Amino acid sequence: MSDIRLEGVTKRYGPVAAADDVDLSVAQGEFVTILGPSGSGKTTLLSLIAGLNRPTAGRIFIGGRDVTEATAQERNIGLVFQSYALFPHMTVLENVLFPLGVRKIGGAAARSQALEALKLVRLDGLEGRRPSQLSGGQQQRVALARAIVFKPDILLLDEPLGALDRKLREELQVELKQLQRTLGVTTLLVTHDQEEALSLSDRIMVLNHGKTQQVAAPAEAYLKPANRFVAEFLGIANFVGLDGGRTGLVRPERVRLGPGGVNGGRPARVIEAIYLGQMVRYHLAIEGSEGAPIVAAVPFVGRAWQAGESVAVSWDAADIWPVT
Amino acid sequence: MKRRTFVAAAASLPAVNILSGTARAQSKEIRMIESGGASGDSIEKGYIEPLFKKTGIKVVRENPSSLGKLRALVESGQTTTTLFELGSGIILQAKKLGLIEKVDWAAVNPAEMFPEAKNEYGFGYQYFSTIMAWRKGVKEPKSFAEFFDTKAFPGKRCLPDFPHYCLPFALQAAGVPIDKLFPLDVDLAFKKLNEIKKDVAVWWKAGAQPPQLMKDNEVQYSICWSGRVVGDPAFGLNFAGGKADLSFIAIVKGSSPENKAAAYKLFHEMSLPENQAKAAEVISYTGPSPNLDALLPKDKLWQFPTSKQNKAVQYFENAEWWADNGEAVNKKWEAFKLSL
Amino acid sequence: MRSSGFSFIAPLLVLMVFAFNLPILYMLGLAFWSKGQGFTLEHYEGLVEAPVYLRVLGNTMRIALIATLANVIIGYPLAHWMRGLQNRARLIAIALVVLPFWVSILVRTYAWIVVLGNGGLVNRALMWLGLTDAPVSFLYNELGVTIGMANVLLPFLVLPLFAAMIRIDDRLMQAAASLGAPPRTIFWKVYFPLTLPALAAGTLLVFILCLGFYVTPAILGGGRVPMISNLLDTLINQIPRWEQASAISTILLIVTLLIFAAYRRLDRKASA
Repeated sequence: MSDIRLEGVTKRYGPVAAADDVDLSVAQGEFVTILGPSGSGKTTLLSLIAGLNRPTAGRIFIGGRDVTEATAQERNIGLVFQSYALFPHMTVLENVLFPLGVRKIGGAAARSQALEALKLVRLDGLEGRRPSQLSGGQQQRVALARAIVFKPDILLLDEPLGALDRKLREELQVELKQLQRTLGVTTLLVTHDQEEALSLSDRIMVLNHGKTQQVAAPAEAYLKPANRFVAEFLGIANFVGLDGGRTGLVRPERVRLGPGGVNGGRPARVIEAIYLGQMVRYHLAIEGSEGAPIVAAVPFVGRAWQAGESVAVSWDAADIWPVT
Repeated sequence: MKRRTFVAAAASLPAVNILSGTARAQSKEIRMIESGGASGDSIEKGYIEPLFKKTGIKVVRENPSSLGKLRALVESGQTTTTLFELGSGIILQAKKLGLIEKVDWAAVNPAEMFPEAKNEYGFGYQYFSTIMAWRKGVKEPKSFAEFFDTKAFPGKRCLPDFPHYCLPFALQAAGVPIDKLFPLDVDLAFKKLNEIKKDVAVWWKAGAQPPQLMKDNEVQYSICWSGRVVGDPAFGLNFAGGKADLSFIAIVKGSSPENKAAAYKLFHEMSLPENQAKAAEVISYTGPSPNLDALLPKDKLWQFPTSKQNKAVQYFENAEWWADNGEAVNKKWEAFKLSL
Repeated sequence: MRSSGFSFIAPLLVLMVFAFNLPILYMLGLAFWSKGQGFTLEHYEGLVEAPVYLRVLGNTMRIALIATLANVIIGYPLAHWMRGLQNRARLIAIALVVLPFWVSILVRTYAWIVVLGNGGLVNRALMWLGLTDAPVSFLYNELGVTIGMANVLLPFLVLPLFAAMIRIDDRLMQAAASLGAPPRTIFWKVYFPLTLPALAAGTLLVFILCLGFYVTPAILGGGRVPMISNLLDTLINQIPRWEQASAISTILLIVTLLIFAAYRRLDRKASA
């Protein structure tokens, strides 16, 4: 178990900087997610930490050791790809034994260690299968078992759940979180899915065009984004005008609705009402305003507003976060 | 039914040829499989073109010809090909296997020919010689005894990869005169070949190999076909002790009378010395007319296999001996090749 | 559904059977037939009594094996190198590998004489550099045959191998590296096993083609390297002993089928 530290890490491909002067500290045992749209440089950053690529500038430390010039083999990192990257010509067990064999661990010791890892990912009994005989979720678990079996210093996950369907993804998110907690391994996950990032991580790092936008705990980043990009990327954002020409963010959950004509609210009309189970999401046109519709997410308790109805919209001043 | 009406219609035509006393139609187009290259062109220019001018009969050529192809043709029962070129040794094999027809020489009505060319089963149309040749600038051998003497005449050799060429030459090197070669003393011949084999760089399969190899200076001495080297100033050559051989054109078994009749017309053209002289302009091999020398350019007589000066110093292939002994010799030849 | 598919290819099957398979059966049957006697084994007995033809067959196998090995030694790294090229360079490399296909085998074979002959480019260069006094004999021996056959058959190995190699996901090697495997281990434990089926298939193809080679051994071997196809030509076209040729062909076919069966067995074991 080790911490990770990036200092001014930069990777250029010609004039394009895929990673631009990135600093990051991940504490021992912490679960940090790098979040960004495709092309933001998050996978580049991961491959730099894994040692599959060399940075143009900057230093990378793992467990206090400068590994900037070390090869992937020397870093003792567990890496899981979105494509699983299982060895198709080996059985599940052989796949999991592979990193142990490389470390000259063999025989019964290696076997019991591998079976234990498979048990952790709930794959016991399938060790004789080939990857092609497994479902996507099972393959991802093999990849996970292979990445943790040799007790790596850190675990890197590159969109590990991206190829799975929604239900399975949510199921595995829970397992992944539990597994990480059990092992206590420092984990860095890359994803473009903000829900995944918010639900799994101790902290998230938002990346755009190779530049760090914000590093913060999920709730903080969601409610107090460092800029407009983070605000929009992490969820639905209502932007409201503030004094002095500034802009403020109000999240839909913080918008309140009341019957039309009630004092203290602005009159508005419901454009659309979308039922989401426990919540209803409303798109609202504020009367006398030319701006974008306001989105409100309100718990569903017996009655919902219909499209065309007049309502009063309000929010607390404390729920407004100024953005730039 | 159809055939009877056809014959009746043909018989009623006034322009029918009278052949051997019977009225017969002849095809306007027949097919021939020949050995290809300049030899095929010489058939075209010397014989096929005059035939077409005189009679309107077309001869379509294909190549190459091999005994295997002939056997496959006949055994599959096809009769679209009428004429087939065969070597002197092969024609005997083809006859034994029943792959070719007897020639009706009365129907051919040829001009005067060398007797060996007027075979019961084929028309000997082209004499070719296998002789010694060398790259200009090396010491020039005058006999096969000298050709095989690699100490006095140093240089790499290129010999045919065929026992029926190599054995008689080896026997000459061992002192056997050309009129006493057959029956071949096979063991003596292989003994002589074993003496020379380390100086043989290449055993050739294709006639184009030896002149090219001599030009590239890969070898200095070759035994090769005369037509491949005469007239090229890069090479010296000597017909002494060479092998005179004859290529035949035979009629494929099962050919229709109409096709045969057309084929005999071609054979007649092939017997005419003036046509043979035309063919000799394309390739320096000669036809079977004893009167051909007079029609050939005087300064080039030395190039031709059948000119008086050359025919006398060569030996003639003995196809019968090879027909009886060919397979046994071939086994020894393969064993010899494995010892190289 | 299935029967309609069958009726669609039926004419092709009939063509294959009649135009291809029956003549082969007839050819193979010849060896057991003797005029006037009916069934006989004398042509096989003849082979055993005069084993020179079998020795030629053995020689052919040996040369084919050497040429195939040479092909693998050149072809595998070549295909691997092509895999790593950028798109345009890769296209050019494929074109260069395939180009010889478009040139007559005879021309290709003679081209080697220009390069490797006693007076060829290589020997003249060697002598000019003073590395050797007399020309090195590259041709007119087994070396010449091996070089020639390897050249002619290289595409048959490189193309299937290359196709298999570009299908291998780079991330497999990256995963292996991240799991701590040094390059040598990555190659032998991950990359090589994944190319093995294509390598085996290509090798088998090249070996079988080598067995039937005709022109190249005759010209580049200087006729000094007896090969079975040359012998068959003699037995079919010079001294017509089709029965003997058929007996040899049968043995050749059986040997080839045995090799193929061994390959299938290995292949099934590997993918089991």
